[in-house]
Amino acid sequence: MCANSAERRPRCAARLLAAFAWLSGLGLPVLLGLAISFLIARGGSTLGPSLLFGDVPALAALTGRAPVFDGLWPALAGTLALVVGTCLIALPVGIASGIYLSEFARGRWARLVNLCVDVLAAVPSILMGLLGFGLILLLRRTLLPDAGTCLLLAIACMALLVLPYSIRTTEAALQGLPEPLRLIGPSLGLTPKQNLCRVLLPTSSRGVLGGAVLTIGRAAEDLAVILLTGVVASSGLPAGLTSRFEAIPFRIFYLASEHRTGAELELAFGAAVVLMGLTAFLFGLAHLLHGGLRRRIL
Amino acid sequence: MSDAVWAGLAGVLLLVAAACTRPEPAVPAEGALAAFSGLEGRIDIGGGTAHIPVMQEAARRIMTAYPRIAITIEGGGSGVGVKKVSEGLVHIGNTGRPLKNSEQEAAGLQSFAFAVDGVALCVHPDNPVASLTTAQARAIWGGSMTNWREVGGPDLAIQLYNRDEASGTREVFWEKLLAKGPIADRANVLASNGAMKVAVAHDRGALGYISIGHIDPTLKPVSLDAVEPTQENAVSGAYPVVRHLFMNTRGKPGPLVQAFINYIYSAEGAQIIQSAGYIPAPAPGGGPR
Amino acid sequence: MSRLASLLVVLGVAGVAAFLVASALPLFASGEFFEILLGRWRPYASPGEFGIAPMIVGTILLAATATLLAAPAAIGLVAFAHGIAPRPLARLAMASVHFMTGIPTVLYGFVSVSLLVPFLRNAGAGGFSLLGAGLTLAALVLPTITLTLHSRIEATGLEVRLDCAALGMRPADTFLRVLLPRSGPGLLSATLLGFCRAAGDTVVALMVAGNAPQFPSSYLDSVRTLTAHIALVLSTDWSSPEFRSIAAAGLLLFVFNTALTAALRRLGPAEPPHVRELR
Repeated sequence: MCANSAERRPRCAARLLAAFAWLSGLGLPVLLGLAISFLIARGGSTLGPSLLFGDVPALAALTGRAPVFDGLWPALAGTLALVVGTCLIALPVGIASGIYLSEFARGRWARLVNLCVDVLAAVPSILMGLLGFGLILLLRRTLLPDAGTCLLLAIACMALLVLPYSIRTTEAALQGLPEPLRLIGPSLGLTPKQNLCRVLLPTSSRGVLGGAVLTIGRAAEDLAVILLTGVVASSGLPAGLTSRFEAIPFRIFYLASEHRTGAELELAFGAAVVLMGLTAFLFGLAHLLHGGLRRRIL
Repeated sequence: MSDAVWAGLAGVLLLVAAACTRPEPAVPAEGALAAFSGLEGRIDIGGGTAHIPVMQEAARRIMTAYPRIAITIEGGGSGVGVKKVSEGLVHIGNTGRPLKNSEQEAAGLQSFAFAVDGVALCVHPDNPVASLTTAQARAIWGGSMTNWREVGGPDLAIQLYNRDEASGTREVFWEKLLAKGPIADRANVLASNGAMKVAVAHDRGALGYISIGHIDPTLKPVSLDAVEPTQENAVSGAYPVVRHLFMNTRGKPGPLVQAFINYIYSAEGAQIIQSAGYIPAPAPGGGPR
Repeated sequence: MSRLASLLVVLGVAGVAAFLVASALPLFASGEFFEILLGRWRPYASPGEFGIAPMIVGTILLAATATLLAAPAAIGLVAFAHGIAPRPLARLAMASVHFMTGIPTVLYGFVSVSLLVPFLRNAGAGGFSLLGAGLTLAALVLPTITLTLHSRIEATGLEVRLDCAALGMRPADTFLRVLLPRSGPGLLSATLLGFCRAAGDTVVALMVAGNAPQFPSSYLDSVRTLTAHIALVLSTDWSSPEFRSIAAAGLLLFVFNTALTAALRRLGPAEPPHVRELR
């Protein structure tokens, strides 16, 4: 196709790139669409109250009056409890650290914190699980002989895992504010703290919230951490912070590798659709919040 | 917008809080379940994966009758069962093999054998190979035979499916069938009997091994030296690769855990064990079954 | 107060590092550490061998496969979005990539087990394989590589683009000769970040790679990664030699990822791509 003279070769490379770009640019949405429709086609038919509650009446299941064994409700409740707990720890620390890094940090300490955030972001999630597991063994030998892997432990490890996401998104939201906006406050005589609380944080709140939502999504989807810190195949609703729990990602993993019947495999597809819907919702919400931010400032 | 998000979060919190309170049962239970009356608390169970169907069905019946009792079940394998119960991380640690003396003494474990189970070689239902000799099995697992043609099957590479290091099924299989012989490095590794079933059922070239209780029409058991791997042959001793399924507790079990063990040994428990594909073992001390 | 929070972050990292080092310390003291790193995994031989060399090789091969599969596609996608495609199509492609960042890892594994693995088996291969896991992980790290590269290219000023257009350069030429070279080490850091992510993943490897502790001799062989090894073996005895291999594997993963992070910081700001996405 391309002549092999020297000056024609660059054209050839560019053409190849263009062809490849079209291939990947069109191929990716198509493949993604196919994969998603495969999940929905297999799992869509299972959607309904019985996917969540099995044959137990919804109200009795929701209030915990009757345990659910054939539905996703215990796993969904476990995931919700995990996410809420994780956010209670990770968001305050993460948002505060993000503010610190964006507004106050200077010098060597700032560089150290920045490095630590990067290192933390790069730690594979299974190592967080390993940390939690080691921690519980240590605690049993020393302070808490009755401790075991549980929801609280999973929450703590998960919080450490998602912390960098929360920090970086907060930082990014603050850094994204236009320079003139930063200067208005001080020029009117506001102290840096007043400027932060009255001007910068309110204007960047959508971005910060968007980051929080992304953090929630990360906590809802990670499996490797909880795999080692307290998730089980069957537990019913989480009975408290010190009990073991079920979770949607683990449910999918478990059922995909060892469904006993076709119905259980269907349940896995149903769970996949539920998890997909949950993360897609969070993802959409984050973008909505962030899009709002852009529109408001620019 | 942000108000809506916070309201949503608060709602979720409330829901979780509501879900975590467990009210009294509406209907008093009958039969073997009546022994749980007045008991409440938690039983954490972990370990052997062959046990899971029995444990889950028992938990389901108990928790449905007594919502104040919570039973959690995880797999992991027999090694996990022993270790977790010794550490006190679970109340009942299941094993698909007898405890070693060292394990038993280290933590003062008590064993409760509740079922008899064999471990069978298994293949894809379309595989015409129905029987292997012990020597063939050892050659295949050791890696010196790699094609089904060599044992009278189609010209197809043998895909080995092994179990993880913690598996009691693996330990029994390796000791009793392979006589602790080598296992080829290329064998895939799966973490439970359930996963073994699914993997072998989807791979025409597969050779795996599984608790007889997990065998169903999606895979085909292979006779060993012309003896069919059935629970009857396992109990009679005709089929050699046999083990008991055990529940283990650290020291004397507390009232709730004791009630659970008694329930597994009850007539109702025996029926659960049977429908899971195992043969119930008599209660220790020849108690009523 | 925010300073206190940042202190917590530093303490967290110090805690993780201290834990991993402390659990591997006995191995250094007894000199076993390098034996474990270089040995094979044969727990059923007598005497048993408990080395993780096959897992190290498996991890590197798998992560490299995934990155090498994903990087060209990422370049194609970024070029597509920067001038080659009409705007609506470019937006669709990038929206798909953004959306992929939100898909849970376990779903990549699940779809792969239900579609890709049977497909590979029908094609005459063992389904659980380096190739299957590599393809799946490539999809997983594609957004990471694409979005990092995208943000670096986007940082190139509008003037440059206009200059190129004024010179009559076609979009593909502009991308290849101006934008990509000007992004500096953007492609390298994007690829390294992708590698990091692929090497750190547990779930896909555990579900799709087959977990055989061997040095693979072909792409159709089953492999075990360090992460999957931790997940599989953590369940055994935690005083056994099997368990000691976990301490070594954990420390190795941590040191490797930290070193890569440090290298990435030298190449430029190494933030997770979704952060860029928010800007």
